[in-house]
Amino acid sequence: MKKKYIYILAFLIIAILGYNSVYFKKLSDIKKTQKESFDFKAFADSIYYKGILKSKKTIALTDLITSIKTNQEAAFTKHGNRLGIGNSAYFMIKSTGKIIDIKDGIYTIADEKNGVVFIDTKYIFGNDLRDASGLVKLTDFKTNAQFNKVSESLNEIVRNEIPKQTKNVKIGDSISFSGAIKLNKKQTLFTDLLIIPSQIKLQ
Amino acid sequence: MTISLNHPLIKKSQSLIALFLLCLFISLLSDKFMTSANLWNVLRQISVNVCISVGMTLVVLMAGIDLSVGSVLGFTAAVCAGLLKNGLAFESMDLFVGFTVLGAILVSVLIGLVLGLFNGWVITKFSIPPFVATLAMLTIARGLTMLYTEGIPISNLGTAFEFIGSGWMLGIPVPVWISIFMVLIVVFLTKKTTFGRYIYAIGGNEKAAFLSGININKIKLAVYGIAGMMAAVGGVLVTSRLNSAQPNAGTSYELDSIAAVVIGGTSLSGGIGTVTGTVIGAVIIGVLNNGLVLLDVSPFWQQVVKGFVILLAVIIDKMNQKNK
Repeated sequence: MKKKYIYILAFLIIAILGYNSVYFKKLSDIKKTQKESFDFKAFADSIYYKGILKSKKTIALTDLITSIKTNQEAAFTKHGNRLGIGNSAYFMIKSTGKIIDIKDGIYTIADEKNGVVFIDTKYIFGNDLRDASGLVKLTDFKTNAQFNKVSESLNEIVRNEIPKQTKNVKIGDSISFSGAIKLNKKQTLFTDLLIIPSQIKLQ
Repeated sequence: MTISLNHPLIKKSQSLIALFLLCLFISLLSDKFMTSANLWNVLRQISVNVCISVGMTLVVLMAGIDLSVGSVLGFTAAVCAGLLKNGLAFESMDLFVGFTVLGAILVSVLIGLVLGLFNGWVITKFSIPPFVATLAMLTIARGLTMLYTEGIPISNLGTAFEFIGSGWMLGIPVPVWISIFMVLIVVFLTKKTTFGRYIYAIGGNEKAAFLSGININKIKLAVYGIAGMMAAVGGVLVTSRLNSAQPNAGTSYELDSIAAVVIGGTSLSGGIGTVTGTVIGAVIIGVLNNGLVLLDVSPFWQQVVKGFVILLAVIIDKMNQKNK
């Protein structure tokens, strides 16, 4: 008899705790509310056109490499952006070079000062541009999903803009380019770097 | 009337005397130490270690060790923050499950319990030394934390949650209330229940405890489970204090907690020690940390000093055992 009361009491406690612990909503409603409350496209537009393209913080790739070789810690702190911990950071860089190959949207560039680098004009995904720009803070968003949505919108802009900028580009052309790269503190070689472009200009 | 250093009262109060001398020494060198703001700050800081250490005390009393508490703290803290901020989304069912502060805390404590029980299960089922089993969990939980957070802090968890780590209640910081509550629970467990007596019995002589009919595996399982839960409570405190879950939260907290237990007079060989002793040990560690910062000692030297204090505590423990 006593056990019965204990079970009933335990059930009541669990039910009260459970009722006060979770709430359920339609996922579509949540997404709709988020969409209505924040215009990610407009935000990404402003980050790209007014921020990334006009940024004075974009460093020449040669200067960045020299700076890292001189004082890695200082270079990562000054020019790099990262959200969490770890040895990697994102950088916004610019450089010039000659296109020596174009394959599946990846431009192989003979960079005038830095050897061969690659520019990915097709598979623009991830958070490289958002994080390298250093213009978007995680703390400005309520959820990680919203924060990632900024990357999606930003990548979408670049996916639309780059083909326009490279419409007449062909192998052998000289270009100037800017974009995001990810570097690791343990990295000692700076060849074969993959750049997610923010802008490509025919010279 | 003179009291010798071997007097039982002196021996029983060794940690308390050490704490008193430490406070006296630091207050002589720094006028900022004995201010109420600083002392509340110290208590707020140590509340996390107190929570972890009281769980660790039960483990050490049983002649075990739990190296995973720091990582379990990190993981449960991340889950708590993640649920609170992002909830759970089930695309196929068009369902979003949101968590209140209570819900997120309950789930993280439950996960702490599960991870602790897993430790206990591995130790009892496969007779693996606690050191190795919990070392494995240390790596597993840290890896899970990195996977869950992708190395990025989960921030902006709301003012209601922040209140737990930064608020005040009846003139005392909320984390201090929580740690007092946790201490009282574990004191009750050790002093007033057969479960507590079984822990001491297992730590004193496991074989004798087994022969007298104690279900050793069950007790061990429960103790590691409690240690996991306590780590999770510590995780909630850390996260709410920062209003952010850091992927590397709790790193090397296990060392501070073991130090608090040892300095508090609990024998690493089990069977001897008290929860109140551990609390004093945690306060000593906290005061030491605070004092070294106030005295502008380099962080590297702080580690060296802390190491020597732990060593001294173990040597004193060994000498006491020899004298017995």
